[in-house]
Amino acid sequence: MSERGQEWLFWIAATVLVAMVVHLGAVYLLPHAVMARALEKLGTPNTMHVGRRPDATARAVVRPSPDILYAACPYDLSKGPLRVTSPVNHASYWSVSAFDAATDNYFVKNDQQINGDTMELILVKRGQPWPALDNALERIILYAPTEKGLILIRAVIDTEKDLPALSAMLHQARCGTVASVARLR
Amino acid sequence: MHVAVKILGVVVVGVAIGLGATWVVVVHGNMPGGVADGPWKTSLVFGSAQSDPYTRARVALHGLFALNSKETLYYTATEDSDGHALDGKCRYQLAGRDPNARWWSITAYGADDFLIPNARNLFSVSATSVVRQAGGKFAVDVGGENPAGGGNWIPAGTGSFSLTLRLYNPGPDVALDPEHAVLPSLKKVSCP
Repeated sequence: MSERGQEWLFWIAATVLVAMVVHLGAVYLLPHAVMARALEKLGTPNTMHVGRRPDATARAVVRPSPDILYAACPYDLSKGPLRVTSPVNHASYWSVSAFDAATDNYFVKNDQQINGDTMELILVKRGQPWPALDNALERIILYAPTEKGLILIRAVIDTEKDLPALSAMLHQARCGTVASVARLR
Repeated sequence: MHVAVKILGVVVVGVAIGLGATWVVVVHGNMPGGVADGPWKTSLVFGSAQSDPYTRARVALHGLFALNSKETLYYTATEDSDGHALDGKCRYQLAGRDPNARWWSITAYGADDFLIPNARNLFSVSATSVVRQAGGKFAVDVGGENPAGGGNWIPAGTGSFSLTLRLYNPGPDVALDPEHAVLPSLKKVSCP
């Protein structure tokens, strides 16, 4: 191959390399960017936000289920461990789940896996000082893989007439630093 | 040509190709699915740390906050049972029995991944809302104009759309073999 041909080959290879690095970087970073934007859209961190029944105007998160009422707590563990409390609806499907900053669902428990009518979840970042806790039989303790993420409560809406009671139940859910949220009894 | 110009060219073209490939592979399109069951596609790694980077990125864009497959299986249909892309102007019929799960729903989404506006605020049918025939079978009209008699109907706008079938707490046979789950068929009935 001529010297000019070798030079062209070098520049083409360099372009392909840059394209691959950019592509792989974009694919890796995309979920982190989507999650950061979603957490921002969902509202103040370490606060429980209860949504309305999703309809065509719901634009915060893609592909919402119109048959589910959601309560979301975007969390930031930089201020200490988090306590999430909520009544549990055993009348239909209900779940509490956790997502890390890369959008992975690293925890989920549904109403059939929780005894009792209330749920308490403590979320701790690895290496964080352990919070002072009283004795409780049904306490979920979780290590969060990333400092920021989301706790999401789902409650199936069986019929329209169940909606007010279900909404009132989700509005009792709390999310905040351990000191700021009391355990439901 | 000056070397600096060549380097700039490599960077500009490389970035353009890299981002273009990302758009084609990840941004453009729908929920990924490695497992197909008729028109329905799903994956057992949605939402989980076992997801490959491409699945994770596509789920983040097209199905954010999906639960892992042990809790919920998400099947998506972008084509009917004959392999033709779904079009809201056409009328389709979903027919079958309750899938094996504690609770299920089927929802229509527009090309933008959001619920499709319609006068009756109808977006889905579910285990609790579907009207069943004697024997437990159901038939649901999807798309087209409001069918006479109402009942089971999911409006689908006037453009391309997709359906998501959610199976909450899928039965063990479905969870182990999602490719052979008994799911509703999706047949085109008519097009204007």
